[in-house]
Amino acid sequence: MQRTRRTKVRLGALWAFLLPSLMLIGLFFFVPVILTFLISLTDMDYSFEWNWVGLANYIRILTDPWVPKILSNTFFYVSVTLTCFNVGLALVLAIATTHINEKVGATIRAIWLLPRITPPAVYALLWLWATRREASSLFNWVLGLFGLPPINWKLTYPWLIVILVNGFVGTSFGMIIFTAALKSIPSDIIWSAKVDGASTFQVIRHIELPLIKWPLLFVTAYQTLSLLTSFEYILLTTGGGPGFYTTEVWALYAYDLAFRQYGGTAYFGYGASLAVFLVIIGIIASVTYLKVFRFRELMIEPKIEVK
Amino acid sequence: MTNKIALYAIVGIIIGLIIGGAIGYMAAPKAAPTTVTVTSTVPTTITKTVTAPAGATPAVTTTLTTTIIKTITKTAPAAPGKPKTITIEIWTIGPDPPSEYRLKNFYIAAEVLNSWLEALGTGVKVEIKGEFFVRPVEWGEYKNKFYLAAKAGKEPHIYLTGHEDLGFLAEKGYIIPLDDYVKKYWDVVYYDIIPTLWDAVKYKGKIWAIPQDTEARPLYFRKDVLRKMGWSEEEIEAFPKKIEKGEITLYDILKIAKEAVDKGLVERGLVHRVKEGYDYFQFYLGFGGRLWDPEKGKMVFTKSAWKKTLQWFHDAVWKYGVIIPTQFSGDWDKDFHGPFTKGKALFCSGGTWHKGEWVSKGLLTEELFKNNIGFALHPAGEPGKKPVTLSHPLVYTITKRAVKDGVADIAFMLITLVTDPHLNAIHAVKSAHLAILNSEILDSRYAQDWFLRDVAYMLKYTTFIPNHPKWGDYSRIVFTVLKAVEGDKSFTPDKAFDTLLKEIQRALGDAVIIEE
Repeated sequence: MQRTRRTKVRLGALWAFLLPSLMLIGLFFFVPVILTFLISLTDMDYSFEWNWVGLANYIRILTDPWVPKILSNTFFYVSVTLTCFNVGLALVLAIATTHINEKVGATIRAIWLLPRITPPAVYALLWLWATRREASSLFNWVLGLFGLPPINWKLTYPWLIVILVNGFVGTSFGMIIFTAALKSIPSDIIWSAKVDGASTFQVIRHIELPLIKWPLLFVTAYQTLSLLTSFEYILLTTGGGPGFYTTEVWALYAYDLAFRQYGGTAYFGYGASLAVFLVIIGIIASVTYLKVFRFRELMIEPKIEVK
Repeated sequence: MTNKIALYAIVGIIIGLIIGGAIGYMAAPKAAPTTVTVTSTVPTTITKTVTAPAGATPAVTTTLTTTIIKTITKTAPAAPGKPKTITIEIWTIGPDPPSEYRLKNFYIAAEVLNSWLEALGTGVKVEIKGEFFVRPVEWGEYKNKFYLAAKAGKEPHIYLTGHEDLGFLAEKGYIIPLDDYVKKYWDVVYYDIIPTLWDAVKYKGKIWAIPQDTEARPLYFRKDVLRKMGWSEEEIEAFPKKIEKGEITLYDILKIAKEAVDKGLVERGLVHRVKEGYDYFQFYLGFGGRLWDPEKGKMVFTKSAWKKTLQWFHDAVWKYGVIIPTQFSGDWDKDFHGPFTKGKALFCSGGTWHKGEWVSKGLLTEELFKNNIGFALHPAGEPGKKPVTLSHPLVYTITKRAVKDGVADIAFMLITLVTDPHLNAIHAVKSAHLAILNSEILDSRYAQDWFLRDVAYMLKYTTFIPNHPKWGDYSRIVFTVLKAVEGDKSFTPDKAFDTLLKEIQRALGDAVIIEE
């Protein structure tokens, strides 16, 4: 009797603590997803009428003449940013800053956090200033030091700007995770390797990298999904241009169709179906990552000893 | 040690936040609020002009006054003591700043109206709560704001918009038809409206709005550059006439522009708008295309004209090199106003209001404009076709909310008061828009403006874009395809045409007539 009552109390407390977050998740995650899916089955515009059109919007995605271009842009953007910055540079920075004087390393990491904590609009504006076409802009000033003529960066190398802008923001996340993982490798393993005569490079290659495999895979998976849905920095810098959909990615295309129409004509329905498509791509990618990289193992059994 | 690192990180973040905040503060666009609330400072001269309109007979004024008073006292019966205030909410947009009289005129009108009401001791006062949106707010954002407000029941009572939206607004029940009002006050001022403008505000046989202004879209050219190319003054003066006669075609424009670029006189041969809009439909019209079939009430897609238009744009960028490939995603100042007003572009496919913008912004003086800039109709696409221009009248509508709030009558009164030759002339002259009333052309301000007088002939060649609920789709598809043609060399005119046709058929179905 006593026990049942106690269990009930515990259950009650459990629910009391869980309910607020469950409600928040339900309200701000599940309801929007369901609404987006329902809207994607309509041809809703600014009259907000629910005209059901079945799967017409999804069929339209398959016949949309611009979709192949948008899709290849998205693939290029995600893969290059991920390889060069969000995982690549993050790893290099984490390794480099843990192999040097700790104070200097920490300072460098703190500096790399700046893009992340700067408000997106301000950060994008700084990039726009730095890459202005005038000879006095930061990039062109550097070129000028070498006697080179100024370049209209946004026009000539739009992808470079898009990838740099996103990459500099995205690097910090991986950097922190990798640093934490590297720091939790027991020092005696590294010391014994050093005693055996291993060089720094060998330590990195044969001890550190294998031991941070799981964080590496986690960051890769997480950042793939994050990049797939991110568009705000592209919107703020190149706006998907210059010219014809040069740097337009899937998420931005959906946003443009739904909200950025000159005549106030909105394609909420089609935009929503594009968003749902992205969710589907995200789910497929997640499941693939989970299966291929065996995430379950990561969750069950810690691969890194905690000091 | 770990604590120290954490401390450094925290200090770093705080410094970053401070720097970021400071940069943000400095970078925030100054003095460019999204909306401009215009104060009701009224020059005495204007008030005088309005109280004694030259065009109207005293009898008419009396009729109007009496009607207004009757309406107002009916809506808001006089109460002893405190005057009852009726608030009318109005939304207007430039987005060019000189067009501010689209709203300011309402304050002037309200002041006049209030002086009448006060003199007659009605105990009622009309107050205007108005907004005038300017860049960076563009049309799309403005319209979106309206639709969202309307869904929340918070839309304004009077809403200024482009005439092409009337189909959509009427169909979805956002606005009310104004036929009865117009009939009732026909002799007060509406008889005076330039007849073709009524076509722009009709949808399914009803009048849904009152014209606010109109304009022409000239092809501007730099006289100074033509002089450097060896053209005589006579040749330059004769240029607009040759275009009017159809002797100069769109391909001639490309040749002249290429010559100027090749000679190093300009960096760009031609600049056109940098965002979605309607200007570029003039190229299609110039190749003999039709947009609207008034009898069937359907939009039109002329295959041959679209083929030629797409070919022209592709040639302009990739064969002649006179338009830059990124023009359609450019910046208004750096890719449109700047190059043309600084003489770095020979031609500019613009609108009459741009003259107002250039002068008011100080990009050009009135004298420099007169000496160095010429303007002509948009040339015919090929020999035998006609030159064109496109008008896009802006219109005042009365929303459903005005009816709900019981102020539709007063809202219409105010629109009637601002549809005044003198008040509208202030707007026309300041913003370089064209008259909507016959008597406005005779207004002293308007008549003295040489530019407005000289472009007036263009209205003979004008066309409107369709008032169709699906016009936005037509426009959007054309813009995307044109942007692709300019931006991507491998997107050939043939490929572009196939895409355009397929997309138009898919999106518009029965709403569009496809003709050869």
